[in-house]
Amino acid sequence: MKYKITHITRYEYQLPASLCHNLVYQVPVSQSFQQVEKVDYHINPEPHFLLTREDFFNNKFIYFSIEEFHRNLSVEIKSEIKVDEPVWINAIPGNTMPWESVVSWLRSTNADNNIRQFYLESDHVVFIPGIQEYALMSFTPGRPVMEAMLDLNARIFNDFDFTPGFTDVTTKLEEVFLHRKGVCQDFAHFALACLRSIGLAARYVSGYIETLPPPGKPKLFGSDASHAWIALYIPETGWTEFDATNNLLVNDRHIRTAIGRDFADVVPLKGIVYSGAGQRMFVNVDVSRLEETV
Amino acid sequence: MIETYLRQSQNTGKTFFDELAAPGGVVREHWKKLALAYDELGIEKMEQRSREISQELRDNGVTYNIYSDPEGINRPWKLDPVPMVFSQQEWESIERGLTQRAELLNLVLSDIYGERKLIKEGFIPFEMVFTHKGFLRQADKIKIPGKFQLIQYSADLVRSPLGKMWVLHDRTDAPSGAGYTLENRAAMTRVFPDLIRENQVRKISSYYQALKNTLTKLALQNKENPRVVLLSPGTANETYFEHAYLASSLGFTLAFGQDLTVSDGFVWLKTLRGLEKVDVIVRRVDDIFCDPLEFRGDSHLGVVGLMEAVRQKKVTIINPLGCRILENPGLMAFLPRLSKHLLNEELILPSVATWWCGHEKEKKYVLDNLPFLIIRSIYRSNENLPYIGSELSRKQIDDLRNEINTRPYLYVAQEVVSFSTTPSLTGSNLEACNAIFRSYLVADVEKQQYNVMPGGLSRSFPTKGEFIISNQSGGISKDTWVLGPSPESQAKPVLNQPILRQVKNVLPSRTGESLFWLGRYLDRAIINVRMMRIVLKIYNERDDEIHPESNQTLVILLKSLSALTGTLPGFTSPDQIKLRQPESELLSLAVETGRPGTLAQSLQSFLANGHAVRDRLSLDTWRILDSISEEFELMKANGSDLRKIYHNLDQFIIKLMAFIGLNNDNMTRASSWRLLNIGRFIESAINTCTILLAALSNNVKPDVEKQLMELVLMCNESLITYRYLYRSTLQLPGVLNLLLVNEDNPKSVAFLIAKIDEHLNHLPGNKRDDGLSPAHKKLLEALTMIRLCDVNKLVGAARVNDLHKKELTHFLQHLITLLGQASTIIFESYFSPTQSQYSFVKSNNALPEL
Repeated sequence: MKYKITHITRYEYQLPASLCHNLVYQVPVSQSFQQVEKVDYHINPEPHFLLTREDFFNNKFIYFSIEEFHRNLSVEIKSEIKVDEPVWINAIPGNTMPWESVVSWLRSTNADNNIRQFYLESDHVVFIPGIQEYALMSFTPGRPVMEAMLDLNARIFNDFDFTPGFTDVTTKLEEVFLHRKGVCQDFAHFALACLRSIGLAARYVSGYIETLPPPGKPKLFGSDASHAWIALYIPETGWTEFDATNNLLVNDRHIRTAIGRDFADVVPLKGIVYSGAGQRMFVNVDVSRLEETV
Repeated sequence: MIETYLRQSQNTGKTFFDELAAPGGVVREHWKKLALAYDELGIEKMEQRSREISQELRDNGVTYNIYSDPEGINRPWKLDPVPMVFSQQEWESIERGLTQRAELLNLVLSDIYGERKLIKEGFIPFEMVFTHKGFLRQADKIKIPGKFQLIQYSADLVRSPLGKMWVLHDRTDAPSGAGYTLENRAAMTRVFPDLIRENQVRKISSYYQALKNTLTKLALQNKENPRVVLLSPGTANETYFEHAYLASSLGFTLAFGQDLTVSDGFVWLKTLRGLEKVDVIVRRVDDIFCDPLEFRGDSHLGVVGLMEAVRQKKVTIINPLGCRILENPGLMAFLPRLSKHLLNEELILPSVATWWCGHEKEKKYVLDNLPFLIIRSIYRSNENLPYIGSELSRKQIDDLRNEINTRPYLYVAQEVVSFSTTPSLTGSNLEACNAIFRSYLVADVEKQQYNVMPGGLSRSFPTKGEFIISNQSGGISKDTWVLGPSPESQAKPVLNQPILRQVKNVLPSRTGESLFWLGRYLDRAIINVRMMRIVLKIYNERDDEIHPESNQTLVILLKSLSALTGTLPGFTSPDQIKLRQPESELLSLAVETGRPGTLAQSLQSFLANGHAVRDRLSLDTWRILDSISEEFELMKANGSDLRKIYHNLDQFIIKLMAFIGLNNDNMTRASSWRLLNIGRFIESAINTCTILLAALSNNVKPDVEKQLMELVLMCNESLITYRYLYRSTLQLPGVLNLLLVNEDNPKSVAFLIAKIDEHLNHLPGNKRDDGLSPAHKKLLEALTMIRLCDVNKLVGAARVNDLHKKELTHFLQHLITLLGQASTIIFESYFSPTQSQYSFVKSNNALPEL
C-alpha cells in the first residue's frame, strides 16, 4: 500500500518568543516492510540552524533553532511511503515458541543487547503492582508467545475505554490501570509494561494509521492523527507489531515514524521556547492512500 | 596531649585502625614530628591556632550552603587544625592505585559510549549500564579527541581496620571540593608555616596548573586563545563559594546557565559587548540538568541546545556528559576483573566489598544478609538514600526485599566498613574521629597521564563508624598532608611555559546586571540607614505622645521615610494610626525582610547581588560583605529593640562606606566598575529628589522648615558643606542649590547625572552615528532642567492657602520621572529583559480519534 502523509503542527504564542530550540521526531525512515519514497519538510519561520541526525535507536530526527522574535511556529512534514505486508501476517500464532523460552533466550548473552534493552523498565513503562498478574492471565504456562500476545491485545482492547482527554503525558500508568481509560499511547505503555514485567522485550512504535471515513461520507483532510502501538520481539518473526487500540495485528495500514523504549524517546515535537507567556497548539494529520502506479 | 590520645586509643577495645597511634601505644613514624610539635604547643595554643584558622577562613569568605535550610546559606567552612597525614611511602602506592583506577575507568567509559564490547563480552552486565540514569543515550559515540574521556576524577578513600586504603565512592560527574582544598591549604600555611616546612608537606599547586592547562588545551576550535567558562548552578548551590573561587583563581569566566546561549551550533557567553564564543565549559551542573531540550525539560540550570553543540564539536564539556555512569557502585564489583582484562594488572586499590543484585547468586546472598549490609541504588540521588540494613524495621526489610526482587539490577549491597580514626581537635581535646579522604585527579593531556594531587580534601566525623557522610551531615574538613620531598620532575621549575595571551576581559550580561543592582541597593541601603537614624533621633527627643499638630517635624520626617522607602501609605495613611504609634512600623522598616523597601530587604538584595558577583570582587571586599552580613544578622536578632537597632545603623554606615571606598580604590575602571556606579548614582539622584519632595516642598512654619532643612542636609552628608559655603542661616534656595544644582558638590543631583552620563559613554555599544542615545537624551534633559532652573523662583512666594510649593513639587516630580526612564532604558539596552523558559512537549495530545 502506498500513502501520502501530511503532518502539520502549528504553534501560536501569546507573546512573541525570542528564541526556540526544537527536536522533531516525525521523519519516517525506510525499514523492513516500509520504503520511504519521498520526504519533505517545511518549517516557518525559516530556522537559523537546522540539521537532521540519527538517535540511539536509529530514528531520524530534526534539530532546529529559531533565533528571532516570532509569534507562530509551524512544522510541516510531507512524505510518500510504500508499506508492504509484514512477514508475521503469515505466521501461525499457535506454532510460535512458548513465551518462557523467549524469556530465557533473552536472558542468555546470545541475545543482542539492542533487543534486550527493551525488556527493561523505562520512564513511562513501570512495573506497577498487579501488572504481572494481568499479563500472566494471557501468558499462561507454555503458551505460544504470539498467541498469548494476541490474547493480551484483545483483552486490553476490551478492558479499556478509549477516552481522549482523560490522560495526558504526565498521567501515571497506575491511573490508566485503575480507571481503565486512555488513548493509544497509554494502551501501548500498558501493553509494554505487561510484556516487560514477565521478561519479554517489547518496544514503542509511533506513527500513523490509515483511517476510513464513516460509510457514505467523504474523507476529510486533516482528520487523522498520530498513533502509537507496540512491537514484541518474537525470535521467528523478529519485531512483531500489535495495535491494542484497534485490537489489530499490524498489517499494511500502519506507517512507522520512530521506535523507542516509550513515548519519551520519540516525542513527535518537543522544544524549549523563551517567551513571556503561554502558547496554543494545533495539529493536522492526513493519511491518504495513493494509487499505485504499475 | 599525645600521651592521652595514645592511652585512649589503647582503651577503646575496638578494632579501629588509628592514623597516629600504632598498636602498643606508640606514635607512627610519619606522625612523630607532628606529635612532638603538638605536645610542645600544648592544648591551649592548639585551640588558639584553631581559632586563627576559623578566622582566616571567615576572613576569606569560605562558606558552603545547605539546600533545604533557609538559614543554611553561607555557613562558615570548618577546618580541623590537625591534618590527615600520608607517609611518602604509602602515598606512592596510593598514587599508583589512583592513577590505575582512573585509567581503568577511562577505558570503561570509552567503551560504554563506544563499541560496548565489555558489555557484549560479559565483563560488565548490560542491565547495570542500560538501567542506570547516568547512561546518556544522547551522548553515545561522542568522543573527545585523544585517549582521555574522563578528564577529572575523584575517589573517596577510607582505611580498613587492617590498614589498607579502600575506595568508597568514585566521583566522575562533577566532583567538588578542589577549591576548598586550596583554601584549606592556604589557611594551614598561614597558621602552621613551620609545621608545613619541617614536615616537607608537598605542594598541591601542580594539580591546579595541570587542570588549567588541560582545560585550555581541550578547546576544539579556537586553540590559540580559548575561552573557558566554569558553569555553576548558581549562588544557592552547596559549593557556590568554590565555583567563584576556582573560576577567579584559574582565570576562567564564572557563568550560570542563563549567561550562555546556543546559536548557529556554537555556545556563546552573553556579555556587555555582545556574544563571545565559548570553547570549553567546565561544569558543576549535574549531567541531566545541562540541557533542558535533550534531558530534563524542567531544568533552568542548563543551556538549551548544549548537547547538540557538543555533538557538533563546537564546544568541549568537562567532564563530558555521560560520565556519571562511572559513579555506579555496581561497577566496583567488576573492576578487579576489568583491570586484569583491560590493563593486564591486578587492581591496586580495592573497593569496599560490593554485591550487585542483578546476578542471582549475589542477590541471594544480599537478601539473606540484609540486616548486616548497606543497600544502595546504583544511581545516587537525593531521593535514593542508602538503606542501612541494621537500622531497618522488619516491615522495611520486607519492602526492600520485594523491591530488590522486582528490580534486582538497580541495587547493590556493600559491606559496613568501620574505617580508621585520626586525631581531631574537638573542644579542648584531641579525639579519635573517623576520617574519609577525597583525592583529585586530572588528565594531563600534554604528558598523556593522570596528574594526582598530592593531598586532597579529608573530612572527619564525630560519630564513629558512620558510613554515609557529606558536608551536610555535620563533618569537619581536614587538610591532607603528603610528606616527603617532591619527585624530581615536579621540583624543577617549569620552563618553556607558553606565554598566554591575556584573555579579553569580558563581563557577562548577568554579572553586569548584578553589579548595576548592587550599586542601586548599596545607595538605597545607605540613604535608608541615614534617614532612619535621623528619624530615630528626633523620635527619641519627643515628649511622650505624638500630636501630629505639634510634632510637625517628626510627622514630616516619618512621612518622608515612607516615601523614600516606597512603603506607602505607611505613615502617610490618613487614619494617622501609625503616626501616633510609630514604633512597630519603624521596626518593620528596619528588620522585615519580606517587605519591599525596608532596610532589611535592601540589605538582603545588596548582599545577594554581591554574592552573585563575588568572583569580580577583591578578597578584602568579600570580607566587608561578610561583615555587613554579620551585622545584618545582629540587627535581625535585635528585632524589637529600636535602641539596639540604632547602634546597628551606625555600624552599617561605616561598613557600607568601607565597601564603596574599597571598590573605588581597587576596582579597575572597566565596565563592571562603571555599572556599579551608574546604579549607585541613579539611586542616589532619585533618592535626593524624593527626600526634597517629601520633606521640603511643604509650606510649614519657618522653625519647622529650618529644622527640616538641617536634617535633610545631614541625611545627605552636606550640612558641613552648606555651612562652609554659605556661612549663613539655612535658607531653602541655598539648600536646593547645594543639593540639586551645584556641580562641584559630589552629592548634588546635577553632579550625579553628569557622572552617569560620563560612565555611560564608556560602556560598549554606546557610540552612535545618529546623535544621542535615548538614555543620554533623558539624562541631558534632566541635567538641562537643573542647570536652567532658578531656585528662587522654584521656592516662590507661598500663597497663603497652599499646602505645597507647587513649582518645586512639579519640578522634582518631573526630575524623578526622567531619571526613572533613563534607568529603564539603560537596563533594557544592556540586560535582556527576563523571559521565561517554557518547555513544551508538542503534539502530545495529538492522539487518534478512531
